[in-house]
Amino acid sequence: MVSHPGSARARRAAGRLNAPRPALVEAGIDGTPRVVNRQLVSVVREEWRVVDRWWTEEPVDRRYFEVVLESGQNLCVYRDRERRCWFTQSA
Amino acid sequence: MIACLLIPGFELRAALRERPRLTVAPAALAPEPGAEPLLGPVTAAAERAGVRPGMRLGEALATCPSLVLVERDPAAVEREWEGVLRRLEDAGFAVDPVELGAVVFETGGVERLYRGVRPALERALAAVGSAWDPRIGAAARRFTALAAASVARPGQILIVAERDEEAFLQPLPLSLLPLPPERYAELEGLGLRRIGELARLPGDAVAERLGPEGRRAWRLARGGRRARVRGRAPAIELAEALAFPDAVANELTLRRALGSLLERLLARPERAGRPFRKLAVAARLVDGGSWRRAVTLRDATAELGRLRSALGPKLAELPAPIVELRVEAVELGEQGGRQLALVEPGGEEAAIRLREGLRQVRASMGTGSVCAVVEVAPWSRIPEARALVVPRDD
Repeated sequence: MVSHPGSARARRAAGRLNAPRPALVEAGIDGTPRVVNRQLVSVVREEWRVVDRWWTEEPVDRRYFEVVLESGQNLCVYRDRERRCWFTQSA
Repeated sequence: MIACLLIPGFELRAALRERPRLTVAPAALAPEPGAEPLLGPVTAAAERAGVRPGMRLGEALATCPSLVLVERDPAAVEREWEGVLRRLEDAGFAVDPVELGAVVFETGGVERLYRGVRPALERALAAVGSAWDPRIGAAARRFTALAAASVARPGQILIVAERDEEAFLQPLPLSLLPLPPERYAELEGLGLRRIGELARLPGDAVAERLGPEGRRAWRLARGGRRARVRGRAPAIELAEALAFPDAVANELTLRRALGSLLERLLARPERAGRPFRKLAVAARLVDGGSWRRAVTLRDATAELGRLRSALGPKLAELPAPIVELRVEAVELGEQGGRQLALVEPGGEEAAIRLREGLRQVRASMGTGSVCAVVEVAPWSRIPEARALVVPRDD
């Protein structure tokens, strides 16, 4: 679809799709989210870990949760164990 | 002979029709919402108090603390202006509106009917009505007629004979010429203040110094071209309105109401199968003001989906909840001018349409507004590493 995706101009202006956004999360004692962005979590549907790039200087260690909020919204949040903070992202 | 009928401060006069008491008080048309806080036209009382059109709001209020700001009422202005044009058309004049409050027409066709130029122009003044304080300038050329109307008093008919045109234009100020403000300053810096002073300069030198707009102004200063006035196409009366029992601001409700109004407009038999070229969406605001936006379609159409997409985004510009929504057909296209495709366009045809659509988005939103998603590592376990959004300016 893109004729010169690798051009200097494109590289300069290119952005990441689905970049993580900081989230306000209150977690329980077991580390599962209880409140996300001031909304109560009704159900934690799934949980998984992503550990990658451990051989680089920017290792990735995330604990993902797919949750359903009180409002009915489906959301993916993860705890970045390297940076010790929470993010939302479409997994 | 070409005549120009002028109603200075038309927008303010139209907005004051509902509040005639303010016409004798210091009042001014409020600045446009979201624009620079500059006053619109002002009443005579405000002018006597030192307030001038185009003055900054703060300065005007400091000069005249009792100044009343009149809210803009674009729907009323449009309605009143259409009324003025129709009354002139009913009197037999083929009108060519220049802007709100200024209209040009030829007297040639009705001079015999009214027995002369002056009686015909008196008929035009009477048709408009003295409440609007109209004035008329008439001359052999359009610009001279406009200039004559600009210097005439309310209710006056100023006829400039062809042999006197040059002498008439010479002492008039340069501000009558259609030039950007910085050009006036430039001309004043060169010591030019009167139209005659500009007209006496060599045309090539003016064009070299001021460019095409200067050349045009120079030509007008010498009277302008002789051209006939082409009357507008007869206006159509096709409109549908929907009044709400309570004020509405919800975009979904507004879009549904717009869709329903468009369906009703498309079903009107007066349309006779002709597509819409220009439409306007207007609303009466809950606080009593009004709002109006006109849209000219690139291709005349009668497709509901395309009409919705053209007018729908305008609803987001509504400044307040509304109590009435109105859709007006301003101009209709020619009947059956569009060749329909026998088979669904595909391949190259679809690609051409897509490219054209993207070109239009870029033209309105700027470069970098159209992006493509490029997969770079779809296998990655890290979601944000799988794809990039890359501007597409090809």
